[in-house]
Amino acid sequence: MARVVRSTVLAFPIEQVWAVLRDFNGHDQWHPAVRSSQIERGRDADCIGVVRAFALNDGSELREQLLTLSDAETTYSYCLLDTPIPLFNYVSHVRLLPVTDGDMTFWQWEGRFDTPADQHSELVKLVSSDIYDAGFNAIQAHLEQEA
Amino acid sequence: MARVYVSSVIDASAERVWERVRDFNGLQKWHPRIRDSRIEDALPSDKVGCIRNFNLQNGDNIREQLLGLSDYDMFCMYSILESPMPLSNYVATLRLTPITDGERCFAEWSAEFDCEPNEETGLVDGIGNNVFQAGFDALKRHFGGR
Repeated sequence: MARVVRSTVLAFPIEQVWAVLRDFNGHDQWHPAVRSSQIERGRDADCIGVVRAFALNDGSELREQLLTLSDAETTYSYCLLDTPIPLFNYVSHVRLLPVTDGDMTFWQWEGRFDTPADQHSELVKLVSSDIYDAGFNAIQAHLEQEA
Repeated sequence: MARVYVSSVIDASAERVWERVRDFNGLQKWHPRIRDSRIEDALPSDKVGCIRNFNLQNGDNIREQLLGLSDYDMFCMYSILESPMPLSNYVATLRLTPITDGERCFAEWSAEFDCEPNEETGLVDGIGNNVFQAGFDALKRHFGGR
């Protein structure tokens, strides 16, 4: 079982960051790796259990299911259902917390998954750098653009 | 139930900040409001259940009991047994979390307690500003401000 935890601080109030992040179908608007996304069966993106089907820039298609969404705790979690990449039992948690003495936001992104042993370090790097860290930078840029 | 929550970013790794704050008998070494402290019954200060008996710079005496301590998750949880403040059922947690994209950490200090409704605002502001934020400000000064 691999565990990846990445975290950062964004110079924006938590309400503003959460407004972008809580949209389970909105990652194609900000994450550089995601080309398009839609929620299956025409459901709202904030219904627990919905599945987002999305395509990456390289054309690969993935499906992820929303497991938890809490406006009170500014958290959500999801799992990967289908992927061409060998990430098994992948569950991810996103958590925002306010930095009260600076009106900033602490953001932690965590993933647990199984991989073939010979691809362990390669896939840990993919998740931590290309998905999580790239996501941090993209949200920062997205919010700066909005401002 | 009243709640206080204060959080900050400190410019040092969580491990370094934890080293400074983990000693339940060490408040006077880093918090400017604390004059002196001792652990009752000569217990070790990392023994869960031990009681710290300390004095503020203004002479107030407070007794607090260690409820939980984790070097792995870097948190310390304690309750107030006796204090001059008009509150009860006070439980507080000081927690550090690494920020992976730089040499800094996220610090949270929170508390819950019961009190008379007319005392709540004063207590929440007093604890939040004079204890929690003052502690974080001292850590930020020590480790270098941003």
